[in-house]
Amino acid sequence: MRLRIIDRPVESRQNFWPVALSRPLWELRCGITSLGEKLEAKAKARDVAYFLPDYLAGVYRTKTSRPVNDPSTLAGGDLLLVDARVKADSFTVPSGHSEVGLDGQGEVLYAYVAAGDAKKVQGGDLEAFLKSAKATLPNVQAKLPTWNYTWDLILASPHQIATDFAALGRNGIEGTVEEPSALRGSRKDVYVAQGAKIHPMVVIDAANGPVYLDEDVEVHPFTRIEGPCFVGKKSILLGTKCREGNSIGPWCRVGGEVEESIIQGYSNKYHDGFLGHAYVGEWVNLGALTTNSDLKNDYSTVSVMLDGKHCIDTGSTKVGALIGDHTKTSIGVLFNTGSVIGAMALIMSSGKPLPKFIPSFGWFIEGVVTKGFGRKVLYETAATAMGRRKCQWTEADRAMWDVIFELTAGPRDEAVKKGRKAMMK
Amino acid sequence: MATVAERVKKVTAKVLDLDPKDIKAEDNFTEDLGAESVQSIELVAMFEEEFGIEMDEDAALSVTTVGGAVDFIAHVCKKQGVEIEE
Repeated sequence: MRLRIIDRPVESRQNFWPVALSRPLWELRCGITSLGEKLEAKAKARDVAYFLPDYLAGVYRTKTSRPVNDPSTLAGGDLLLVDARVKADSFTVPSGHSEVGLDGQGEVLYAYVAAGDAKKVQGGDLEAFLKSAKATLPNVQAKLPTWNYTWDLILASPHQIATDFAALGRNGIEGTVEEPSALRGSRKDVYVAQGAKIHPMVVIDAANGPVYLDEDVEVHPFTRIEGPCFVGKKSILLGTKCREGNSIGPWCRVGGEVEESIIQGYSNKYHDGFLGHAYVGEWVNLGALTTNSDLKNDYSTVSVMLDGKHCIDTGSTKVGALIGDHTKTSIGVLFNTGSVIGAMALIMSSGKPLPKFIPSFGWFIEGVVTKGFGRKVLYETAATAMGRRKCQWTEADRAMWDVIFELTAGPRDEAVKKGRKAMMK
Repeated sequence: MATVAERVKKVTAKVLDLDPKDIKAEDNFTEDLGAESVQSIELVAMFEEEFGIEMDEDAALSVTTVGGAVDFIAHVCKKQGVEIEE
């Protein structure tokens, strides 16, 4: 089967901002693997290509060897197109006969084109292809569960870690574990990959879920890791109180207390401070004592303002901060429950919990949003941060972030105006 | 209406906690008036609010003296059609 994973430029993808501002939805993590990896495993695909909003394509092409936004990959049969929001676990991969699965609003969630029907479906681009498939192939009302918001991923991640651990089928100690160390639970529920170094005085508690420490992970003394937990390649835990349910991507530095959070990768939370039920993008730096609340004092469900205006009830009593790529916080920043912190933002402590929405590219200083030193300085800092991990800030990155700057201008301009007024008082 | 120079001095004095009478056109915001980087950002934001203009961050932050700010703001006001007293 040939798989095409799609992330269309529809309004609902804003439900995954700010972390999806700078990446396709299938790159979002849940459990050990990304949404895309789960779909790929489910479809047992022999070749994979991607379709995503145009402004993301330039950067994404530097990250994959697979075709991106190439309409020629839609030709031929035995072709499955799947929306990245489809939950792989609940998806029954069609085979044999063609069908188009629609959601309640009539939008295509997946389309399978059997070999014999390849010539029926025409289209110069993805949208035309989907329209043609919907018009010419049998439609089915697919009651398929989908990921609808970023917090869906956070809340599902602990369980998903256990599911992914079982599916990957790896366990045992391939790296080094220095004594004394303590392992609670069954060794079958622990995987320490090759090159991983567990220093003395570390507790790995797999009694309530598996612990997967990927290649070259380093765990410093006095760290306690509670399963379910995944730590990605080359990440370092620094005396961390790593409570249950964390999925930490590659190249992160994580200290302090972290619970049921997802960190995409390449981000630092080196020092003390609590992060709970949060989703943190890439290249984020959380200053010492940066802390988020993930539970309200009255135990009511958490509301989130994705656009800075309209509250969405998450239905969960626990949701922490959603933080976009390249955002940096100073020491002592306090995020309110269910905060949305845009990408490329710079946050300075105000001594009290911050507003629940801070726009992308906003400089939060002295308790208000400002334009700060502007984009150029943020780009220079991003290039420096990436260079420290041997990654390069390219012209494609600049072009993508310029588009993101425009996409996020509305709430930022409003916040800046409000901030200026507040300063004059 | 106060002049641009008077208004710039008023805002500068407020942000940097100074007496407007002690601020001279040749004063450098950082070296003479002690503005820190965060206060530079505040100054730009408050000049924008005071004059009802939008300034390019790079250009605004490259201005180093009070007199330079007066000239720069007067130029931006003219460009953006904002009435001022010179």
